[in-house]
Amino acid sequence: MNAPTSGLKPYALAVGALLVVALPWLAGDQYQLHLAALIAVYWILVAGLNLVIGYTGQISIGHVGLLAIGAYSFTILTGKLEWHPGLAVLVAGAVCGLCGLALGLPSLRLPGFYFAMATMAFALIVNELVLANDGWTGGGIGMPVDIFPAPFDTPVGYYYLVVMVALAVTLLTWNVVRHMWGLGLVSIRDTEVTAQAVGVPIFRVKLTIFVFSGIAAGVSGALFASLQSYITPDTFVFELSLFFFVSIIIGGRGSIVGPLLGTAVLTALPELVAPLAKLGNFFYGLLLLVVVLVVPEGIGRVFEVLQERWKPRKVANETVQPDLVRLQRALAEPGASGAAPPATALRKPALGEQA
Amino acid sequence: MLTVFVTGLAVGMLYAAIALAYNVMFSTSKVLSLTTGHLAMLGGVFGAWFIQAWQMPWWLAMLGSVAVGALFGLVTELLAIRRVLNKSDEHLWLLSTLAVATMVQQGVALWWGTEPKPFPRLFAQDFGVGVLDQKFWLPIGATIVMAIGLSLFYRRTMYGKLFVAMSEDAFAARARGISTDRIRMLSYVLSGALGGLAGFAAGQLTFAFFALGHLLTLNGFIALAVGGLGSNLGALLGGAILGLLNAFASYWFGGEYQQTIAVGILLLVLLVKPEGMFGSRNVRPV
Repeated sequence: MNAPTSGLKPYALAVGALLVVALPWLAGDQYQLHLAALIAVYWILVAGLNLVIGYTGQISIGHVGLLAIGAYSFTILTGKLEWHPGLAVLVAGAVCGLCGLALGLPSLRLPGFYFAMATMAFALIVNELVLANDGWTGGGIGMPVDIFPAPFDTPVGYYYLVVMVALAVTLLTWNVVRHMWGLGLVSIRDTEVTAQAVGVPIFRVKLTIFVFSGIAAGVSGALFASLQSYITPDTFVFELSLFFFVSIIIGGRGSIVGPLLGTAVLTALPELVAPLAKLGNFFYGLLLLVVVLVVPEGIGRVFEVLQERWKPRKVANETVQPDLVRLQRALAEPGASGAAPPATALRKPALGEQA
Repeated sequence: MLTVFVTGLAVGMLYAAIALAYNVMFSTSKVLSLTTGHLAMLGGVFGAWFIQAWQMPWWLAMLGSVAVGALFGLVTELLAIRRVLNKSDEHLWLLSTLAVATMVQQGVALWWGTEPKPFPRLFAQDFGVGVLDQKFWLPIGATIVMAIGLSLFYRRTMYGKLFVAMSEDAFAARARGISTDRIRMLSYVLSGALGGLAGFAAGQLTFAFFALGHLLTLNGFIALAVGGLGSNLGALLGGAILGLLNAFASYWFGGEYQQTIAVGILLLVLLVKPEGMFGSRNVRPV
């Protein structure tokens, strides 16, 4: 299932890591560095959401609401209550985890479309509440956000901070998907009934993953607010949810590297190619439609197919020689051969016979 | 107080009309399309455009809106539903209809602008008439006509009976020689026409605004879930209940928490009685 992850060569990983570390020197200007930090911040959310959408198959289109809650919690904690930003990030994550729990408890019991609608409604509610409580959130005008203290107050320092957090989240999700948990998630995505039949505690697994994605969204929201330095309700439009969503679907369900590349490409592409920026969400919608119709498994699947064509996997042809002599002997007189269990072991103990 | 009641009823009937459109599509394809609210948005925007830019009389503009809605329904079926249903993966129709909905919303935003624009008056009428104003009774009347028309269509016409047969059991219908693909396409056209008409009739209430789609998709779905999936009477009642509760809640508590209340109702209904008021409980997981 996670062939792209396991197929990744160590040197590709090393080159990627080197590139990420060296990026502040490679980037031409501050704006490109800002873009790189933005990709990392989005990825923190997408990594959590990927477990929900890509692995568990629950279509959540309301994660922008969790992002907004994280951003506003962080801003209120650091701005109005003057907490330390590092602590505020953690608390924002915890708050969003609780919100994810509150949203997931009722709505994760519902089937596909109902769940999608509940999460969409959640995003709208958050926007409404932000506008209504303008004493806390600044209403439609928005409010400025504090930046992080000393080592992280420069663009380069901040970039390293978000990359470290993104790396930690990626490791966490990677650890989840490559063990029994990942298999449980995939089984829920593919056939829920079968998953239940083989003993996966469906609701508990779904809820745990959803809460985890909520925490990731909260941390991402806090870092996002600090990166943007000013937030208004207009920052958290519903279409941002679509963007997260498309990143995951394009990258491929059931993979971690795919959505990572999807996030990076989709964040950078409209910024670097001007006509796409104008089309904006139309472009995302078109991309989503094309991927769903042509390669529902994600772009990663295309690469796998191409790889297969260029460098076909060797399928060894081994003929299995049945050991006819032993088979015959075993069939002829059970108990005579060493391979077959002695007949006495299979015999039911008679009454009165105690082992 | 009467104004609050009539406003709530008018908005509720718009939601009910969206719920009817959901039902028509759901009956043949078992798909709840995320584009449903956008049908009404298109009806409103194109109605305003036809009347203002083209100087059409109201009935011609209405026909135009219905045609645009029907066309969009057809496009949705061809683009997002047909191929995906053949693949029979449960979630894919959700993604494809979301994609189509986003594309049409952004397309309208680029072409029409992102500001809500007023919808022209259809009939000469004094503004001082209060609750008798056309902006209230137009959506109410249109939705009631739609519901009666649908009921007659299902009971009296051959195609209506094919729809019913397909909603009961698509495989059996196919085995009896019904072209299920064509019936499904027709149902999307019909539902598009209904949505377009609803959007046109409610235009003066909602304004011609590109971002209405998602809101109507959500609220129409809530009306449907409250009333019961598949039931047209339930759709009408669910819409009325939702609209009235919203109107009175904003009258008493202020307008800030409208969606919160609507979604609260949704979650309550889904947790207590998941099949809605008039829906049939259909549990068959395997």
